[in-house]
Amino acid sequence: MNNVAASPSGVVPDRAPTDWRTDAMQRRIRRRYAAERRFRFMGLSAVVISAGFLAFLLVTMFLNGASGFTQTELKLPIDFPRAGLTLDPAQLHGPAQGGGADIALAAAGLERATDAAAIAAFGPKGDALLSDGAWLRVRDAVKADPALLKTRSIVSVPASAAIDSAAKGRGSAEAERQVAELGQRGVITTGFNPWFLTNSDSTDPTMVGIWGALKGSLFTMIVTLLLAFPIGVLSALYLEEYAPRNRWTDLIEVSINNLAAVPSIIFGLLGLAVFLGTFNLPRSAALVGGLTLALMTMPVIVIAGRNAIKSVPPSIRDAALAVGASPIQVVFHHVLPLALPGILTGTIIGMARALGETAPLLMIGMRAFMVSPPERLTDPATVLPVQIFLWSDQVNRGFIEKTSAAIIVLLVFLLAMNGLAIYLRNKFETRW
Amino acid sequence: MSTLALLFLIAGLGLIGWLTARVRAVGFRRDSSARFSSLPSHHGTYVALWTLLPALLFVAVWSSVSPALVTDTVLTAPAAAQLPPPGFERAAVLSEARNIANGRTFGSFNPIAQQLAPAYAAAQSRYDWIGTAAALLLAFATGAWAYLRIKPDFRARTRVERVVMLVLLAASLIAILTTVGIVASLLFESWRFFKIVPIGDFLFGTHWSPQVIPANDPGSALGAVPLFWGTFFIGAVIAMIVAIPFGLMSAIYLTQYAAPRVRRWMKPILEILAGVPTVVYGYFAALTVAPAVRDLAVSIGVTWASSESALAAGLVMGVMIIPFVSSMADDSIAAVPASMRDGSLAMGATPSETIRKVMLPAALPGVVGGVLLAISRAIGETMIVVMAASGVATLSLNPFGSATTVTKQIVDLLTGEAEFDSPKTLAAFALGLTLFVVTLLLNIIALTVVKRYREAYE
Repeated sequence: MNNVAASPSGVVPDRAPTDWRTDAMQRRIRRRYAAERRFRFMGLSAVVISAGFLAFLLVTMFLNGASGFTQTELKLPIDFPRAGLTLDPAQLHGPAQGGGADIALAAAGLERATDAAAIAAFGPKGDALLSDGAWLRVRDAVKADPALLKTRSIVSVPASAAIDSAAKGRGSAEAERQVAELGQRGVITTGFNPWFLTNSDSTDPTMVGIWGALKGSLFTMIVTLLLAFPIGVLSALYLEEYAPRNRWTDLIEVSINNLAAVPSIIFGLLGLAVFLGTFNLPRSAALVGGLTLALMTMPVIVIAGRNAIKSVPPSIRDAALAVGASPIQVVFHHVLPLALPGILTGTIIGMARALGETAPLLMIGMRAFMVSPPERLTDPATVLPVQIFLWSDQVNRGFIEKTSAAIIVLLVFLLAMNGLAIYLRNKFETRW
Repeated sequence: MSTLALLFLIAGLGLIGWLTARVRAVGFRRDSSARFSSLPSHHGTYVALWTLLPALLFVAVWSSVSPALVTDTVLTAPAAAQLPPPGFERAAVLSEARNIANGRTFGSFNPIAQQLAPAYAAAQSRYDWIGTAAALLLAFATGAWAYLRIKPDFRARTRVERVVMLVLLAASLIAILTTVGIVASLLFESWRFFKIVPIGDFLFGTHWSPQVIPANDPGSALGAVPLFWGTFFIGAVIAMIVAIPFGLMSAIYLTQYAAPRVRRWMKPILEILAGVPTVVYGYFAALTVAPAVRDLAVSIGVTWASSESALAAGLVMGVMIIPFVSSMADDSIAAVPASMRDGSLAMGATPSETIRKVMLPAALPGVVGGVLLAISRAIGETMIVVMAASGVATLSLNPFGSATTVTKQIVDLLTGEAEFDSPKTLAAFALGLTLFVVTLLLNIIALTVVKRYREAYE
């Protein structure tokens, strides 16, 4: 071993051969190997900690949010004939359009009757056990079955936020005691809450739902897609296939690359100043939100589209040109269909980013309190991320689980979109 | 007739034009054996374009011109004699009359508006009908003219393709329009702001309290230095202290050490971190991280710890940035020629020595470029700081203290019902302009650094 350093030509080396067995050398090697292991361990822990953070985030949201999909309900006996409702049964069959039955039931004192029933059933403070919107559930039950009005019947109504969180094990001592008491009487149940998916915003955490925000998100995404996809694809085609190399196309290219890196809130300022300030489009509308997000998404689609078009081999273009196709036919009949899977992947990723975006939509006023889902593109609307933001500001503790539950819904959508993008990329990936 | 119905009608005419022209072109082909430059569908599209485009152009022009014409007609009505003189009041009465005529409101505030409403409705329906008839006539006339032009040797293809090229060009110009729109709107509003507040006060003032702006000296409450400091402190210091080591070490581990299988799974998992919406990070920071940070500060004896600390926002933002740093580092490490690594390993260096002494120095410009892009991303990030940082602008180095950022202040200034020309709302645009310029410069520097580095090994 110690002769390794000697040169074969017999020339004497200018220093003594290294003796690898000396203690100093062994120590040095051990130190170097330890450093190697440390370095490697640092790398591994960086990966593990980063992934761990993601897992922690997801698990926290899931644990907080899972209970948001459930709701505690109380079985409330109401003696309708004795409740003193001043109601003409004919009004219940009035025009559903104008909310005739709703108005009639509200005017008949149903809210007061519900509270009175709660006091009769659960003691002097019984009405505090119910959610503020409990009477709405009674109203819906009556509307569904007017025959109830003639009988003493039991209606399941949502419990108040305090009782709800106590039943899920996070309430105050007083509420816990009440829940235990109600549990002994067998009138309290906690189950899946379908209203969370079908209701809209409310001031009462036991009554809120995400349908309004989800519909707003859907409208906004439709506008974004309809604008960003054609414009993005067409400009990618122009820049990659036809554009002469001159100062103008350089300018376009630089603009697009820049737009992709502009902070999203700047697009919100643009939407505020141009769409609302100059064109006077309706505030808070899905239309304006979609326009703003389209400007943000378009550069993403252009960049993805150009990469996809670039990867179509020139031989395909040459073959088409050789049989007499015009440049337009070459692109629209041959290049575009081959590049489409790549463009679609980029589009889905861009849309996923737009779906999760909040800041620019706050700028154009999509933070209003919306109790009903939008019907048209120009109606005031809110979107899912903004709804999450609004709920996160609520002081009422019941909103924590609702916020996390809405986050779960949003993440499910995003992961599904990203998963679809990855699937498409793998399925259509072609190597020429 | 409503605009939507009119558009459908024009589209229908276009479809008819396409079909008839196509049928005619197919007829040419049957009748002769000559060589054609265009397919039947080209002829069809040519006629359809001539049917659609002039009519649509006319509709666009008409819908911007006709309101003024309607108003002119209404002003000649007898009831208009009682109108107040031209000005704000007159415009208000007229718009009320218009709303009544369109059935948007029922009660009226002003009796003259009620009297003018029928005149309004009549004028509107007249001009609507004129517009509809003219548009349809135009569509028919231009379509028929185009139809008469198509002949066996007519080169419809060149003409159609010229239009397609124009559409493509217009699509790509939208990017420039957007950029111009951003710059123009920011500049315009900022210019109005700097007429009220001297630019020096804004850029160098150290006191920021937009809640109370003294009318005689608005500049004294709108000094943005604490915001710039807070943005820098949270986005470029705390976030990067998290993101750079974790991102860089993850990239090194995944490119140099990890088995291909591990790499295939871990890389997308880390990328999910970049795909989580920022509002989720913000909620997480405010709900989970901020209280933990405050407890930590109290337990190590910091006497005054804010529950909205710079540290909480910065930490979470750093985690969000990890994938940006790691994918840029990944790219630039992969771009280092394998011969350099092999040479170092052959000399007896351990892999970690090779990475630290050979690969990282060679990849450094790319890594630096990636870090600059990540900083630009971090200082433009909004929701995390809106939800986790405080609104109090302070100049402090204490990471447990509160700090506020430019983006947080933009949101605070613009949400709430403020007038469009108060210094408060305009300040948001000035902040936006600053943010735009800074991120733009960072991006340009980063791209230049990366580009110069790439040239070194090609």
